[in-house]
Amino acid sequence: MNQFNQEVAEPIVNPYEVVPAEVYEVIQESPLIKTLRLKPERKFPFKTGQFIELTIPGIGEGPFTPSSSHFIDETLDVTVMKTGFVTEYVHKVKIGDIVGLRGPYGSHYPLEKFEGKDLLILGGGCGLAPLRSLFLTLLHEVEKYNSITFYAGAKTPKDCIYKDEVTGWRKYPKVKFIRSVDVVPEGEEWNEDVGVVTVLLKQLNIDPENNPAVVCGPPIMMKFGTLDLLKYGYKEENLYLSMEKKMYCGFGQCRHCVIGPYFACKDGPVFTYNQIKDEEEIWD
Amino acid sequence: MIVKANDFISFLKKVDKEKIDGFSEVIVPAKPKYSTNGHTYFHRISEDNEIVLDSFRTVDPIKILFYLVRESMNSEKTRNTKRIIVGVKQCDLKALELTDIALINKNFIDPGYKHWRENTLIISSDCGEIGENCSCNLMDGKPYPGKGFDINISSIYDNYFLQAGSPGGEKFLVTMSSHIGFETCKDVDTSEIQKKREKIFASLEERNLSLRAKRDFINLKLSDLELWKDESTSCVGCGACTNICPTCYCLILNDETEAQEFMKVRSYDSCQWNGYARVAGGGTPRPKMFERFRNRYLCKYLYMKSNFGLYGCTGCGRCTEACPGKISFMKVVKNTAENFSEVAQ
Repeated sequence: MNQFNQEVAEPIVNPYEVVPAEVYEVIQESPLIKTLRLKPERKFPFKTGQFIELTIPGIGEGPFTPSSSHFIDETLDVTVMKTGFVTEYVHKVKIGDIVGLRGPYGSHYPLEKFEGKDLLILGGGCGLAPLRSLFLTLLHEVEKYNSITFYAGAKTPKDCIYKDEVTGWRKYPKVKFIRSVDVVPEGEEWNEDVGVVTVLLKQLNIDPENNPAVVCGPPIMMKFGTLDLLKYGYKEENLYLSMEKKMYCGFGQCRHCVIGPYFACKDGPVFTYNQIKDEEEIWD
Repeated sequence: MIVKANDFISFLKKVDKEKIDGFSEVIVPAKPKYSTNGHTYFHRISEDNEIVLDSFRTVDPIKILFYLVRESMNSEKTRNTKRIIVGVKQCDLKALELTDIALINKNFIDPGYKHWRENTLIISSDCGEIGENCSCNLMDGKPYPGKGFDINISSIYDNYFLQAGSPGGEKFLVTMSSHIGFETCKDVDTSEIQKKREKIFASLEERNLSLRAKRDFINLKLSDLELWKDESTSCVGCGACTNICPTCYCLILNDETEAQEFMKVRSYDSCQWNGYARVAGGGTPRPKMFERFRNRYLCKYLYMKSNFGLYGCTGCGRCTEACPGKISFMKVVKNTAENFSEVAQ
């Protein structure tokens, strides 16, 4: 082969290789969201914020960010909303079924930058999946962080996910876990906050100058959440956005997820706002 | 090193037949019998095809021989051939330079592409003619190879002047010398080659004079979207341009799992298609045709340049040739790069 100036690493494993994983538990989180708990054939280490490709044999695959702590590498949780072709089949998966995993891919949350800080986590809907991973990972070494404020949004009380875990999370002294729903339909009970998740920012009591914030959720929430945090005084370089969009191959080859010269799958999915603010259509 | 053209061709046929040096396949640009326009296609060498080494590039882009249209990512069984590709032109060598960085780098290695790259000897050749849409000169290219080949051939009268460009090429020349006779190169011959090269280049320059755009390609991004709408009116989004482009490598993966063995099959995707990068829920990054059309140009001139340090266009002109809407790539580049207004910024 001809020599061109490029750095070639030792051959890595076939990047297209799929690791089989057995489903050992399925949790119905909300009418549209399920969490699959998987046991991969071999250890599957990842860093919180990175994503994987979940294959349903013979159907196809989709990108999902694990929702479990990265301190666990023998099992993996994936939280999936039913929203299209592949996810419809993901929701049909039963205990004992074999699915496939590729990855992990992309950038992760820079935990070292959160140490000693008052971290704000802002999320909505199925965007809570990567944030649960981050949150559980932080709780594993909770003494390293000054405080963790987690604002979680959902459409209605029924759409709230990780219901059974919330009580446990709230017991941590340094943790504030506050939920808000957009609306409370008649007949449903709710005694926590009401309104789009960004209304919770009114309660925020963190110095925005030197503290980081992490945002993940549906595009519209990402947009207004980010803009509100900027207004509140957060710095562009301290805002971490999970641009989980259009990832497909996972290693920057298919070019589906390009954000200008960046790839969501390779340079992201975790970006700081100042990295991508000048690119086109980042909120689409 | 100089060899008689006929001897060289016979030797290539012999290599293909007798698996000399372990090469079991020799692929050449060949003109089909029915062809009336001088177009050539990559074909396995045979007695039936007319071999054309000193015309312009083939219709097929080089990528179809390294990055297959459809390839299973699990099986290595089909990939056991060592082969020689002859008559590769400078525009395709330049494309390989880009795909080499894109598909074999420190973060990612495409196993199929890497295999073919490592098991292929490339014998390039000077362009002796220019095709209707050839425009390598507009992308700093020359109609003769400069690097990236194992051996390059320049035709001179009824002979070929052979020049090794890699250790693999030198080794092959040694093998060849034990089969056919060489003559030492005389000074007059090389100057003749140089003259021929200059002449071809000059005619390219002259022909493409009106297409030369100012080199501020950032203007493609700044130019008015209305301009892009106008330029793309006859685009039907068929994706011929991306499929035939030697540097387009966007892929889709099909899951063709049977029983318990997971199987991924990779094939070409096209950013010109509506379904490209469509996600669950129906969202697509560029729902309108002119947006997808514009993306191809921005990708070639801005994104790839920033990703790989190289432009994604080698000026081969295949996209223009393949376009059923008769869109001239270089004309669009010129129009959009030059007709942007300060207001649009």
